[in-house]
Amino acid sequence: MTRMATITLPKKTTLPCLICETQNQLETLVCSTCGAPMALIHEALLLDRDPCIVTVVGDSNVGKTVYLGMLLDMLSKRAEDFEAVPKGAYSVNLQHTVISYLSNRQFPPKTAMEIDDWHWAYYQVARRKFGAKIYDLVMPDMAGEAIAAEVANPKTFTVIRSLLEKSAGAILLVDGALAAAGSPQPDFFALKLMTYLDGVMASKRMSRLDTPVAVVLSKADYCPACFDDPRGFAQTNLNRLWNLCESRFAHFEFFAATVVGALGYGSDESRNVVPYPLHIAPRGILEPFEWVLSKL
Amino acid sequence: MTLRLFTRKKAGHQARRNGRVPVHPSLETQSAKYQPAPYESVEDDKIKRNFQQGRFAMILRDEQKWGAYSGGGEVIGNAKRELEQRMALVPAGTIAIAQTLSAAPGSAEEEIAVEPFLLDVHTVTHARYQKFVDAGGYDALEYWPEEIWPHLIELKDLTGQPGPRLWRQARHDSRLADHPVVGVSWYEAQAYALWIGQRLPSEVEWEMAASWHLNNSTDMMRRFPWGDAMDKKRCNIWSSRAGGTIPVGEYSHGAAPNHVLQLVGNVWEWTDTEFAVTDDYGGPVVGEMPMYVVRGGAFDTYFEAQATSHFRTGQIALARAQNTGFRCAMDLSEASWINGS
Repeated sequence: MTRMATITLPKKTTLPCLICETQNQLETLVCSTCGAPMALIHEALLLDRDPCIVTVVGDSNVGKTVYLGMLLDMLSKRAEDFEAVPKGAYSVNLQHTVISYLSNRQFPPKTAMEIDDWHWAYYQVARRKFGAKIYDLVMPDMAGEAIAAEVANPKTFTVIRSLLEKSAGAILLVDGALAAAGSPQPDFFALKLMTYLDGVMASKRMSRLDTPVAVVLSKADYCPACFDDPRGFAQTNLNRLWNLCESRFAHFEFFAATVVGALGYGSDESRNVVPYPLHIAPRGILEPFEWVLSKL
Repeated sequence: MTLRLFTRKKAGHQARRNGRVPVHPSLETQSAKYQPAPYESVEDDKIKRNFQQGRFAMILRDEQKWGAYSGGGEVIGNAKRELEQRMALVPAGTIAIAQTLSAAPGSAEEEIAVEPFLLDVHTVTHARYQKFVDAGGYDALEYWPEEIWPHLIELKDLTGQPGPRLWRQARHDSRLADHPVVGVSWYEAQAYALWIGQRLPSEVEWEMAASWHLNNSTDMMRRFPWGDAMDKKRCNIWSSRAGGTIPVGEYSHGAAPNHVLQLVGNVWEWTDTEFAVTDDYGGPVVGEMPMYVVRGGAFDTYFEAQATSHFRTGQIALARAQNTGFRCAMDLSEASWINGS
């Protein structure tokens, strides 16, 4: 009787984080450095391709969480013939939270600065037609304050830098209502963020950046001009941002979006003024995402 | 081929150098496809002109005066027939209006009795509203409340002409002639209603028409005009996937018992009731400007629970949203063809 040889395979005890590449113990739930769910890595390992990261960035209070939650929910409902399958139950948390709040005529709470509290969504997205390309999308919901801190002082939140470095495309939200009211704040913040993106993503400093960036004028229900002509609006009201995009980005486009049909103001238990979404009428949510996918 | 490509590239480059923004592709397509409605010749005769403009209720309001005109009797008869077809009787009932934003079970409600009245079967279409614009309705101050006079100049279309926000050169897109007119503020809706001799329905009248909460022992109240269950095949909301407005005559199987169409879906409908609710802490919920109640949901209403016969919401009176239109109402006492006067 022949005895079979025993081969001992080297047992992996650590795995590199998909986002920041820190080695983590197998049983770890979230990355010790960037807080990304390790389930992302386990899911990604099952695929024979690298997941595609699309980041939604923007200033604090610009509507990133609502935009992302609504986008994921619309994709799950097969809007525009998309099919989106969440990879892991944790991926559903963001859309669940956003939809629950909006259907109760409330906005979801602000995303916390702490990385552990961010929602991560990992979806397999494809058009529902034969032979359509499948995208494995990782879309985290980052806190605006964290993005601002990282832009102001790079390496404050290394996870943001790692994420953007690995991003195949980005959706930049700019407060259209504020810009329409004449505030220079949205233009300056977007300018800083795009400069940061340029620094992080560009491989050759001399050439224009290939990564597609969709600039979305959010809260456009307050600014019909944003919908009528987003490019024209940006050139007039976000001129610094427009010029930078033209100079440094090979693929950029302007869009307008809103989730809220009408807004009312009331108070909370501490008598602070709070906005209430009176009814929900999403518009322009899918278009930027669709455009980014078309450029990947 | 090479030459054409080269030419196109150069033209784009030139436009950029001149500081002109390349037109967004979607806008370019929309603009190219826009088919302005043709101008109509207008009747010289006053009563015939009123009839041509769809001001049937206005004709009947001055029945005695118009009756004296030559051929007036015939026009009056035709106006009655038109209104008979275009309007439906909504019976008396009682409506309970939630006083809080959350409208949670057990929260404060006000019960309001509704008298029978007449309601348009369809929402006002682009074609019907065109007659108001063509007749100089935006310059006729008698149809506009005084507080809006300074803002009348802002009620323009995409090309700066008076008219709904999404029109061009004061013309609607003829392909949308039988779609509900949208991009009109509450003031424009009210001015149109007054011009044709009608009025906007109150919030409780609208809800009565959609819910049929009759004054009888059954105490039955419909959640939707067709019954109690949402059916995306009976109305045009986000999940119906039309992606925009549809003609006002569609979805006949979603009609109310009196054949009033599209009370739920397609477009939110302005009412003449100011929006007043409180939050959960008893404070008022207000807009940045005065708000009026809109009802029924629209083609882009995402939550089915927001497109029902009892869901209350508001819109800023000056908002000219792409999803908001209106229909007109009339007191029963003015319906001479019904009450026999």
